[in-house]
Amino acid sequence: MEMDLINSLKNLGLDFEKAVNAAATPDALEDLRIEYLGRKGKLAEIMSQLPKLDPSLRPAVGQKANEIKVECQQLFEAKKGNLAKESEARTLSRFDPTLPGREPWQGSLHPVSLVIREVCGIFGRLGFDVASGPEVEIDRYNFEALNMPPEHPARDMQDSLYITDSTLLRTHTSPVQVRTMLARRPPIAIVAPGKVYRRDSDLTHTPMFHQIEGLMVGKDITMAHLRGLLQAFIQNVFGRHTKIRFRPSFFPFTEPSAEVDISCMICGGKGEINGAPCRVCKGTGWLEILGCGMVDPNVYESVGYAGDISGFAFGMGIERIAMLKYGINDLRIFFQNDTRFLEQFGL
Amino acid sequence: MLVPLSWLREFTPYEGSASELGERLTMLGLELEEIVNPFAAIMGIKTGFVAQCDPHPDSDHLHCCKVDMGNGEILDIVCGAPNVAAGQKVAVAPVGATLPDGTVIKKAKLRGQTSCGMICSERELGLSDDHTGILVLPESTAIGQRLVDAMEMDCEVLDLSITPNRPDCLSILGVARETASAFGLPFHVPDLPFETDSKSGETILPIEIEDPELCWQYGGRVIEGIKVAPSPHKMRYRLIAVGVRPISNIVDVTNYILFECGQPLHSFDLDKLSGGRIIVKCAKDGEKFTTLDGRERMLNKDDLCICDANAIVGLAGVMGGLDTEITAQSHNVFLESAVFQPRSIRKTSRRLGLTSEASYRFERGIDQMRSIWALDRACALMASISGGLINPGLSLEIPKPFKSARIAYAPAQANALLGVTVANGRQKEILESLGCAIENSEAEVWTVIQPSWRPDLTRPADVIEEVGRYHGLDSIPPELPPVHRNLADCFFGHSTFSFWNLVRDWGAGVGLNEAINYSFVGQTDLDFLNLPPDNRITVFNPLSEDQNVLRTCLAPGLLHDLANNLAYGAQSVKLFELANTFHADPSSETGATESGVLGILLYGLRHDSGWPHADGTLDYADIKGLVEHLCHFLNLPKPLFTRVEDHPWLMPCVQITVGNEKPGFLGKVKTDIADAFHAVKNVWICELGLDALQGLHEKAMRRFHSLPIFPAIRRDMTVIADKKIHAGSILERILLQKLPLLEGAVLVDCFEPSDSDERHLTYRLTFRHHDRTLKDSEADKEREKVAANLRKSLGVKI
Repeated sequence: MEMDLINSLKNLGLDFEKAVNAAATPDALEDLRIEYLGRKGKLAEIMSQLPKLDPSLRPAVGQKANEIKVECQQLFEAKKGNLAKESEARTLSRFDPTLPGREPWQGSLHPVSLVIREVCGIFGRLGFDVASGPEVEIDRYNFEALNMPPEHPARDMQDSLYITDSTLLRTHTSPVQVRTMLARRPPIAIVAPGKVYRRDSDLTHTPMFHQIEGLMVGKDITMAHLRGLLQAFIQNVFGRHTKIRFRPSFFPFTEPSAEVDISCMICGGKGEINGAPCRVCKGTGWLEILGCGMVDPNVYESVGYAGDISGFAFGMGIERIAMLKYGINDLRIFFQNDTRFLEQFGL
Repeated sequence: MLVPLSWLREFTPYEGSASELGERLTMLGLELEEIVNPFAAIMGIKTGFVAQCDPHPDSDHLHCCKVDMGNGEILDIVCGAPNVAAGQKVAVAPVGATLPDGTVIKKAKLRGQTSCGMICSERELGLSDDHTGILVLPESTAIGQRLVDAMEMDCEVLDLSITPNRPDCLSILGVARETASAFGLPFHVPDLPFETDSKSGETILPIEIEDPELCWQYGGRVIEGIKVAPSPHKMRYRLIAVGVRPISNIVDVTNYILFECGQPLHSFDLDKLSGGRIIVKCAKDGEKFTTLDGRERMLNKDDLCICDANAIVGLAGVMGGLDTEITAQSHNVFLESAVFQPRSIRKTSRRLGLTSEASYRFERGIDQMRSIWALDRACALMASISGGLINPGLSLEIPKPFKSARIAYAPAQANALLGVTVANGRQKEILESLGCAIENSEAEVWTVIQPSWRPDLTRPADVIEEVGRYHGLDSIPPELPPVHRNLADCFFGHSTFSFWNLVRDWGAGVGLNEAINYSFVGQTDLDFLNLPPDNRITVFNPLSEDQNVLRTCLAPGLLHDLANNLAYGAQSVKLFELANTFHADPSSETGATESGVLGILLYGLRHDSGWPHADGTLDYADIKGLVEHLCHFLNLPKPLFTRVEDHPWLMPCVQITVGNEKPGFLGKVKTDIADAFHAVKNVWICELGLDALQGLHEKAMRRFHSLPIFPAIRRDMTVIADKKIHAGSILERILLQKLPLLEGAVLVDCFEPSDSDERHLTYRLTFRHHDRTLKDSEADKEREKVAANLRKSLGVKI
């Protein structure tokens, strides 16, 4: 009886080893474990005969049963490990890294926002605050205080969309200069981005577009400072080696006034590409990028500033910069909000 | 302003190239747009001499000509013009030449006779509409030359963009003056060919000026016995080169002088002026007047007019009248040269929508000191080409004589403002070359005297600009400014700019595309959304009907964007926009309240990228989820969503409450509205007031809550409830019970059998004790309390 049980246990061990070796899948292996080592398994069945044995013989059989059980469990664990490894190896060998990812939605900022952010960021680092003003503006701030009294011919430069006789959609961000000067005392250093409106619509004009205005007023501010500041700004936006040209011009609210040209980034300022005139700069090698100048004394007078102050102002079109920077060749696409356009920009 | 180089050279001996001049002038503020050749299309035309002209043997109107092209070259040309004759100098298009209309001249046979070219009419050359016969050139014309050379046509014309402050450069003379100072060349104004003496002779037409404020000077002369005819070739071609159509010798002279020196002139038919005097006065309200262009204009009391004793004969500085214009029958001319107040001219010209070369110059300011010179030069020219005689009597009234500004100017000012050092001597040289006289130039403060042609030069700042221009703004050394700021201005706090940027970052980060739409829409766009017609801000002079009102919400723009995107076949549109909306507000300085709004539009597929995303259409849960996400992102309290009825364009519409603010709505665009934008699926829009969000965001406190130490126990509970009972109401009931061990509850599943009025809502309840590990049995007991409460209060099954 005692030897029968021990032999049964030995056989069980051998059978289990054979079966385990033959098991091909984790499921089959688990079935074997249940069949042999489970609560109602073969080992349990053998052990159920233990009580029939003389108590003095029981420990030896028990000990053997335990040995066999440990051995079986080790076999099982080892095989389980092997199967898992094989399975992982199989999975790895079939892993396809080219399947599409589960991408979250791809959002984007409008190129106008991107440029405003970049420009304000640069001026922010140079010490300028961001200021703002309303889009519906009074004539006084949009024109008169900027040295453009009624019937001034310079008003032709900006055909306006009027709301009433005395209010209009601002034609430039320059009224923010006036509002800021009225609200604060020098020294002042601000930039003001925003929407502006003109009564003009064709291939190269939209009735709404965006500008950034800059104003610096203080003591001993010179045109050399204006040049230095704009050089820093332009080279940060368009690259270190961008050349800058100051060309005299006219704005009613600055004097002297200048238009700023930058060397064409398409032809490298040469004006031609492989012998043909560059289309972007029309062969001149220069691109007009912004207007600026020293604040006209009449503007100081209109905001009640007097004494020993000087300063400069500048303004630029955002879409123009975006077009140059991102190679956009159609102004109207900015406001069509075609997602195929918008999606190209990201953050 | 078109400036023919050869014309400019009459006043200054500039020998350089057109492009070099253009470049220099550009850097002086007269920007070169381009260099054009107005005669580019006839460069291939040559001059020839009709040596022989015989009738064509087989035609009663054609002629067979032998045309001497110089150098012994004789061309056989068959010509059909009635006026062709032997002995004429003519314009010939030889074989291979191209005419302005694109015709290429080929060797041809006309009724059996060989023709090796074409003798051209002015119309064929694009020089006028005259096609009555061939162009017959003056006898002195050299043959065998290019027509443009033989006739001294201006083939190099600079197109300059002249800023409003430089009316002096709206003339060849003015640009020549600038050229002379730029290159250090002499500048000479042509001498007048006759002695002018206003005292001699009798004034034929006395001048009465009733509005001396508006008319600063009025001069005129009479030329008698003129014969109206075409002007000489050279004058006509010059006018063509500056973009003016030649009309007749009398009118052409007035235009020629206008372009030459910038003084607008007007010629009246003297015999049609009645009463023997000229009166300059304003019109009466409602008075009618027919201008040269044949249009009747309704005038008002601000319009300055030139009148004879009976009627208005000209709209001062803008346009003459039809009744007194020069015609082929005119014999005697009254030529006007006047100076008017710029503002008044501009007002009239703008109000009538009538801009002329004259009004353009008058409203910018003209050189009063040159007005009589221009009159006399015009008279001399006119007399010489029309056979008239200048009456020695001059009509002249000067209510407001020109007075130069005397500017107190310290040269140090220029250096201080420009940030450069320009020596006093150099400054003086610059200013004198521009025509300024300088007094006290040894003193610290000079007196700079304004030249009469520079209305823009009256203040020290204007003088500094001139010094800067000539020193070269481009040669000022760049230098970074020291940025000083007021301490009081350095509280950065929360700016609208940075808050909007924060929300933009959220929108782009969460996967929406930022849109920017026009601020104006059409009234009909707003009407279509059933929005109230009051408190809209209308644009007084819109470009079009679809841009005639400022938007009161962002939906119209976003819906148009949706339609645009659907038109190209977009499957999924997820847009956001941050912009101001506008409402009329009489209490505001600008009459408007501008409120920032965040608008979100969702439409179509949740993912249009395919595998591995599951299919699905964007729905309420998506747009609501975005709002919840935004509130979390901005650190705001959890938003509440309440259904509201009667929204003008959303159905269903859900009001959003955050803390004690109601920043906006979200919902599905009403089907009939969405249909109009070609939407075939539901359109979800949300609009949130940015001011409210910013206020909440600024108030939001970031506070840390300690993490729990003891584990939680979760229990799911499925509630079977009538579909009319909101999921939120059940949750509210659960939370309202305020069981101390219940940490939270969320909906984890919602099963809605279609054949039943009930649905199965599974909530996951989380229980936790702060101070010890909770037992399963305790959690079960708590769960039962929740269930009992729901059964009792809502009558649901668990």
